[in-house]
Amino acid sequence: MFRYIVRRLLQMVLTFFGATFLLYALVFANQEDPIQALAGERPITQNVRQVLTERYHLDDPFLTQYWYYMKGLLTGDFGTSLTGRSISDMMAQAWPTTIRLALMAIIIAATVAIVAGVISGIRRGSIFDNVTLVLTLVILSLPIVVLAPLTQLIFGIKLGWFPPTTGADPGFFKLLMPALVLGSLVVATELRVTRTSVAENLRSDYVRTARAKGLSRQRVIGVHVLRNSLIPVITLIGVDIGQLMAGAIVTEQVFNIPGVGFNLFRGIRTEDGPLVVGFVSILVIIFLVVNLLVDLLYAALDPRIRYE
Amino acid sequence: MSDIQAATAEEQPDAAAPEPRHNAKRDKPRSLAADAWADLRRNKIFWVAAVLVVIIVTMAIFPSLFTSANPRACTLSRQHSGPTGSAFFGYDFQGCDVYARTIYGARASVEVGVLATLLSGVIGLIFGLSAGYFGRWVDAVLSRFIDIVLGVPFLLAAIVLAKRLSQDPQNNGVVAVIVTLGVLGWTSAARIMRSSVIAAKNQDYVAAARMLGAGPARLMMRHILPNSIASFIVVLTILLGINIASEATLSFLGIGLKGDAISWGIAISEAGPYVRVAPTPLIWPSVFLAVTVLAFIMLGDAVRDAFDPKLR
Amino acid sequence: MLGKSPWKMAVGATAIALLAAGCSSGGSGGSDSADKTIVVGIGEPQHLIPSNTTESNGAEVLDALFYPLIKFDDKNEPVEVAAESITSDDNKVWTVKLKSGFTFSNGEPVVADNYIDAWNYGAYGPNGQNAAYFYERIEGYADLQSEDPDGDGPKEAPEPKAKTLTGLKKVDDNTFTVTLSAPFTGWKSVMGYTAFLPLPKAAFSAPGVIADGFEEKIVGNGPFKMKGAWQHDAQIQVEKVDDFKGDVPKVDGVTYKIYQDDQAQYADLVAGNLDVQTTIPIESLASAPSDLGDRFKKSPNSVFQFVGFPTFQKEFANADVRRAISMAINRQEITDQIFLGSQTPAAAFVSPVVAGYRPNSCGEYCTYNPTKAKQMYTAAGGPSEIKITYNADGGHKAWVDATCNQLKAALGVNCTGVGEPKFADLLTKVEKKEPVGLIRLGWIMDYPLMENYLGPLYSTTGSSNYYGYSNPAFDSLVKEGSEAPTTEEAIKKWQQAEDILAQDMPVIPLRFGQNVFGHSERVKNVNVDLFQKLDLYKIEMA
Repeated sequence: MFRYIVRRLLQMVLTFFGATFLLYALVFANQEDPIQALAGERPITQNVRQVLTERYHLDDPFLTQYWYYMKGLLTGDFGTSLTGRSISDMMAQAWPTTIRLALMAIIIAATVAIVAGVISGIRRGSIFDNVTLVLTLVILSLPIVVLAPLTQLIFGIKLGWFPPTTGADPGFFKLLMPALVLGSLVVATELRVTRTSVAENLRSDYVRTARAKGLSRQRVIGVHVLRNSLIPVITLIGVDIGQLMAGAIVTEQVFNIPGVGFNLFRGIRTEDGPLVVGFVSILVIIFLVVNLLVDLLYAALDPRIRYE
Repeated sequence: MSDIQAATAEEQPDAAAPEPRHNAKRDKPRSLAADAWADLRRNKIFWVAAVLVVIIVTMAIFPSLFTSANPRACTLSRQHSGPTGSAFFGYDFQGCDVYARTIYGARASVEVGVLATLLSGVIGLIFGLSAGYFGRWVDAVLSRFIDIVLGVPFLLAAIVLAKRLSQDPQNNGVVAVIVTLGVLGWTSAARIMRSSVIAAKNQDYVAAARMLGAGPARLMMRHILPNSIASFIVVLTILLGINIASEATLSFLGIGLKGDAISWGIAISEAGPYVRVAPTPLIWPSVFLAVTVLAFIMLGDAVRDAFDPKLR
Repeated sequence: MLGKSPWKMAVGATAIALLAAGCSSGGSGGSDSADKTIVVGIGEPQHLIPSNTTESNGAEVLDALFYPLIKFDDKNEPVEVAAESITSDDNKVWTVKLKSGFTFSNGEPVVADNYIDAWNYGAYGPNGQNAAYFYERIEGYADLQSEDPDGDGPKEAPEPKAKTLTGLKKVDDNTFTVTLSAPFTGWKSVMGYTAFLPLPKAAFSAPGVIADGFEEKIVGNGPFKMKGAWQHDAQIQVEKVDDFKGDVPKVDGVTYKIYQDDQAQYADLVAGNLDVQTTIPIESLASAPSDLGDRFKKSPNSVFQFVGFPTFQKEFANADVRRAISMAINRQEITDQIFLGSQTPAAAFVSPVVAGYRPNSCGEYCTYNPTKAKQMYTAAGGPSEIKITYNADGGHKAWVDATCNQLKAALGVNCTGVGEPKFADLLTKVEKKEPVGLIRLGWIMDYPLMENYLGPLYSTTGSSNYYGYSNPAFDSLVKEGSEAPTTEEAIKKWQQAEDILAQDMPVIPLRFGQNVFGHSERVKNVNVDLFQKLDLYKIEMA
């Protein structure tokens, strides 16, 4: 086990460099005219264009640009955005907010998904099962660009239960509505997977054995079925944590949360290479760590799984 | 222990059947697929789902069977007006026939939904199965690749891909959207598949089958896959719905379907801001989308049940 | 039933959480009547150094922090504010006399050098200031620029010949002269732009070098000063300067709350967390009258929306094709149905807010006439496929689609709207001469003169003439107008130039913008000016 973890940590270092390289290549491929992109519709004079191009090395070849970037990164300097702001500052502001938001969303989503999924998995075809199916379909058929403003309108403005927007450095309550919306993005898949997994395990031989041995229904479900059913679910949750951090673009925009999704969107729109790569390198690290934890959890949940 | 015995007993006829003696036609009725088909035929849910899918696919291929109206004939003077004649659902913000647009929207939406999901499914299956089954360095390489792909922001990759794929101004961008969504959407499915395979390959019946001399291909296809595909299928059916909706997001950013393309996703997003004034242009395409996803969820459930060895 | 209870519990738990947290996380202090601080919504400014600020968010904040040389009255004529007088005998050498006794908020007196230093910094090429082009007319501007010898190559551009503009001369502490390289009647109006604000000595760590961190806590000569530093992506707070010598605003401070999106801003306005939104987004217009009642307002602004015909698109080379397309568009229907009256139909090439505007200078070619349009289009052999390319990030899809539907109906052609992710992508395609069809464009003026539309949009060298229109007769009329001795003569020339546009139809005028703004019940006397900025001197607490 220990050797496995060490090996995974070593892989991480390699993966990290691979990821930054790939990302820089993608950003470079996307970079056509960052100076105009930053200016929006305003005309740019030749002089300004020339100065900014040289200041940010925009006319250098790909490898040179990547070299400049990595040189900074290895000394802990994420560089500056094309607007002149320090990317480290931007990250210090954005990451805590987004991590809070994503964790809240994933906790809400996972709780709802596991509770509702287990119940509907046990009672397949019941009213509860069908109601959750319909709700799942409703969430699925409303894209986030519709769902988020609609939630804001109903609960933030009409009913006034929540503050309609969040703003910088928000507390738990302000993040609740965005977290609910964000969580709904992933709840459907997690719920259906839990349901299937539980239904499947209920039919397996070990449950029959346990029941035959006289174990109570609660104990069979609570200990044996749930434990074995959780493997696919935690896999999904692991993937979703990261995706909620990067993919909260629409949610962060609608609820005015200056987080990672917002910064990524801004960086991509203005073709701001250092900004995008900086944020995404952290994101890749998060994925690597979370997925390692998930893999270790497999072994904890199912003793038959061993890593050597 | 009883479960080993049960598993071995169940798998033994398969495992023992030597490959060369395959008298193709004779053996078929007892194969997994044939058993599954026999199961499916008796399943009511399967038939409901199948009929729905047939209707939706017909709608996608021959929209003119369902409406004679031109979905692109719009005039502002009819903005948000109620149902008239063949426009059962009334008119939208641009004064287009909502019914006709919903019918014609099926093609792009179903194409994107089904094909992008299939593409993701194939990539996810290969990655997940190989990583889970072979473990060690294969798993290390494939899983770290998955980690990198997970990290790449969807929007950035979509913009880069769409720019490369849709150079030809003549096509309407469906292929680009399918490839974009397909190539970026397989990671969850792959990780799910991998986790199920890791769990399944340590089961006793697999060990038993291996001891009885089954090769890796046979182990994978006959013993591990049927026992680990359930969650994978569920993830894909939900992904289908997500893909149909994501197409709208891409189109709205200017990197999706081009020009005057009609799709449910676009219709839903365009009607969103006016939901307080006119809800019908939002509701109908959403209902069609929901029913399509429902049909595939039911189909997925039925097929999975039919293939599940534990139910036999 | 089992099916319902978890949901009920969730709602119940939410309600409890709401009650518990509701009191502690109070809003922006809406109920405190003694607090005379208002909350105004903006987007994140790109920069706050005046010579680098060319977008409206930065300009909005600078309006509170600085006191400009001139402002515009109700007729959009320039009137002196921080300047005592701005005069010229020949429209070439302008003498600016400053009002005395003014100070920056750090206590420094405002003197002529503050202006000269700031403008020299802005004009110096290597500083890469966005608003540098405003100094182009000042004598000596060219010497502050340098040409990169190998274009995009690795070599760096050499240092420019000079570091200061020869056209700027200090006369005494309160007076300086601005010499232009050619006479320009409208120069006084130009000096209303943010680029012509002064900077205190404290701004510079060395001559020509802005001190580190100055932009984060910028110091101006205006009625407000920064309270703390610029909180990026969150807010910028300003508070009243004690004993301000000029016009004193009626509010004690302004919190500029930063939003990523106008719709989020609108949600906060309706919920009462925001006092003023200067631009209500189109998606919210339908519900704004009922949400806000008489707090939903409109006022004129300088926005001009149009479509251009790139000259490399040979199928539109015949002027009759362009005229027919223009006549096939029902502008009134689009402004009514799509924009819900928030924009007005345009039948001229300059905005109604500038002197010299004539309501129907475009004539019959901008009047909806589908029958004649069809005849003309067929006779001129217009193409059977029309494309309108737009940037998808600006909310243009709805009207482009509607316009296409009108063209389809009127001309019997096939028309499609093509969205590019952002404006820069659209420009890239135009530069590569790809078949983009008609391109969607818009213009917001920098100063209220006809010339600010005619020059940048239609002159051969115009900065925003992306379609490549070029007519020497037009160019020389614009130039003659700019150099004319009086405003009246200038306008006469400019109107003649506009008449040429009406004949050539290089673009189709579509709509003029308006400010659609709203405010909370806490404030009254809310006005939004031509430049889409809140009038800070008039607003007061209700």
